Amino acid sequence: MKTVHPQKKSLIDSVDSRPWATKNPFEEFKTFTFQKTDIPLDQIIQSNEIVMDRIRWGYEKLLEEEAKELVWMVQYNTIIKAYEVAEKYIKEIDYSAEDIEDFCFALENTHRVPYLIPGPAGVYISALCNYAKEEEIVLKLSELKTEINLIGFRLPKGKRLSVEGDTGDFTGIGLEGGELVVEGNAKNWTGAGMRSGKIVVKKNIGLHTGEWMMGGEIYVGGRVRGLGNIVEGRVFEREKLIYPGKVRYPNLYY
Amino acid sequence: MEANGYQKQVMEIYQFINDHLYFNRPDIEIKGERYNSAILFSLLTGLLKGKELIIGEPGLGKTTSAEFVCSVVYQFPLGVIWGSEVSGHPEQTEEKIIGRPDLGKLNRGEEDVVWTNFSQIPVKIVDEINRLPETKQSMILDGVDRGNWEYLNEMIINDEYCLFATANYQDGGTNTIIAPLVDRFDGMVESRYPGANLSFLIGKMRRKDHILRHPKFEKELYRVLKSKITYEKKIPKIEEICNAFGDYIQEALNVKPLQRQDRDQIRSDMERLELDLDASAFTRMILTELSFCDVYGQKRIVENCEEGCHYTGYLCHQIKNCASNRLPTSIRLYGQGLAWLLGDSEIDIEHVKSILPYTLSHRIQWKDEVLSQKERAKRDDPFPIFLAKEAVKMVSQRYREQSEHLKDALAIGSKIFQGESLEPLEGDHPLYVEIKKDVNARRS
Repeated sequence: MKTVHPQKKSLIDSVDSRPWATKNPFEEFKTFTFQKTDIPLDQIIQSNEIVMDRIRWGYEKLLEEEAKELVWMVQYNTIIKAYEVAEKYIKEIDYSAEDIEDFCFALENTHRVPYLIPGPAGVYISALCNYAKEEEIVLKLSELKTEINLIGFRLPKGKRLSVEGDTGDFTGIGLEGGELVVEGNAKNWTGAGMRSGKIVVKKNIGLHTGEWMMGGEIYVGGRVRGLGNIVEGRVFEREKLIYPGKVRYPNLYY
Repeated sequence: MEANGYQKQVMEIYQFINDHLYFNRPDIEIKGERYNSAILFSLLTGLLKGKELIIGEPGLGKTTSAEFVCSVVYQFPLGVIWGSEVSGHPEQTEEKIIGRPDLGKLNRGEEDVVWTNFSQIPVKIVDEINRLPETKQSMILDGVDRGNWEYLNEMIINDEYCLFATANYQDGGTNTIIAPLVDRFDGMVESRYPGANLSFLIGKMRRKDHILRHPKFEKELYRVLKSKITYEKKIPKIEEICNAFGDYIQEALNVKPLQRQDRDQIRSDMERLELDLDASAFTRMILTELSFCDVYGQKRIVENCEEGCHYTGYLCHQIKNCASNRLPTSIRLYGQGLAWLLGDSEIDIEHVKSILPYTLSHRIQWKDEVLSQKERAKRDDPFPIFLAKEAVKMVSQRYREQSEHLKDALAIGSKIFQGESLEPLEGDHPLYVEIKKDVNARRS
């Protein structure tokens, strides 16, 4: 009669003959009670979304009030007015510099922000920068397809705004002592009416640079296409002082 | 865990070595208690039948710490341990490490092997392993891994053995330890400088090793090891002499060494300890980060992932190689040892976090940019252990942030495996991707 060796039997039992795929690699968690919880990342995303909604809402209100027929003329008064409206909404929002950057990208996404009108958008972004908690703001906009106008409008003393990428017209106009650094190119009317502070454009700059500027300095790493009628202040091209200097006539190649 | 007195006995051995033989400062804190990592890990290695690499500057007690621990844990007089050590040097041969032909018998036309003491006794110490050339390191791979020692057509298998290897920092005479050999070590510790005052004290004292010497037992053990009886028959004889030496130690030094049955009982107690859910999830998290690659499917030493991957912030982006299957084994092994020693009923996340840097440090190959970025950082540990500790800290932080969600994801994974119709949870860690892969494999 055959007898089963007890030790042999237990050895055989210990070898699981099932294919690997049927083994549960999460076996020890089978008794763990699953509960839907929000992970901190979810909460961060959620709170970011709330902030972004409020920023978007402020921008839409600005358009409603200042660009009723989606037309907006760049004039001294319209800029001041738009800025005051923007200030009104922005003061009520608790946001960070990263939210400003997100808003810039949201502007290109018509699904999220219905209209991108470069003027009011620029005024609104400038107001966001001026009222941000951070003293130093970096906007990484090199991937942005649209060049935003009016960036750095009324940038106050003590603030440093650095833009990675190119900016549009009226960059840094009415600067109030802040430091604006553009890592790429800036278009026309840069630094117009600025009172004090510093604008650094790492590449080239357009026409009417420093038009009616009352003080401060503009440093250009590349070429200056043309200077405006400057009242006071200094303009440098490739570290060389060009105003005050030989240049007397606006928008002439020198 | 119900303490059966063995924990106390082992802690007394730790204290004895710390007070009388190996003077050093505590350098690791576990659950509020401070220990010296070299003694603690060597003790666990001896108990767990593990393999440990001890690094450090010359003359700082790498070999002696291992000798003292082995002498007390395995009841071997120091003279026998010395006589069975293998020293790493370029001229080392298989005949000196494993065994040689019995020349007398060979003259008579018979083939028989004379095994070395190193291959026969359970305590194996390889001194200055990185002085062995890379080609000769392969000779000990199998023995290190499985306790199999082969020569000619014969083989002996060590049922119980532990291995300690020491390595100096790179100098003119050292070689790189080959990756397959490094991976076979469960842990790496540094035998560090004890500080000027303790060093001065060590210099003032006469040699401490005489207390673990016993020429009579040493002679008897050599006689048995040299005898022509089979290896299996030698074991009980060796144990008998070791027990007699153990009794002598207990009487003379008032510390009770561990007999074979004590060690077996301890191992069986340790074997019963399992990782709790947090320890398990955390271990899975770190294993994922050390093996995952979104671009190439897994980490491979020959492939380098570039910037721009979504998982750039995880360890997978900082390392070159993939974690081996020996890593979780080492984590579990040393986790069991530590939890048992501290009298805990499960391996918890604190145990895992304490042992992880020592089980990881020698196995990770960091990318050059990570090395150059961190090499000048202020630290108290040797660079590989420092980097491993930093990595564990980073992953702990991530685990703290999402432990509940991660455990939920694993629980859902388990339910899917049990046949429930659920969808795997999403989350921002490669482990969620790994869970999905397993679940998809199950479904297909």
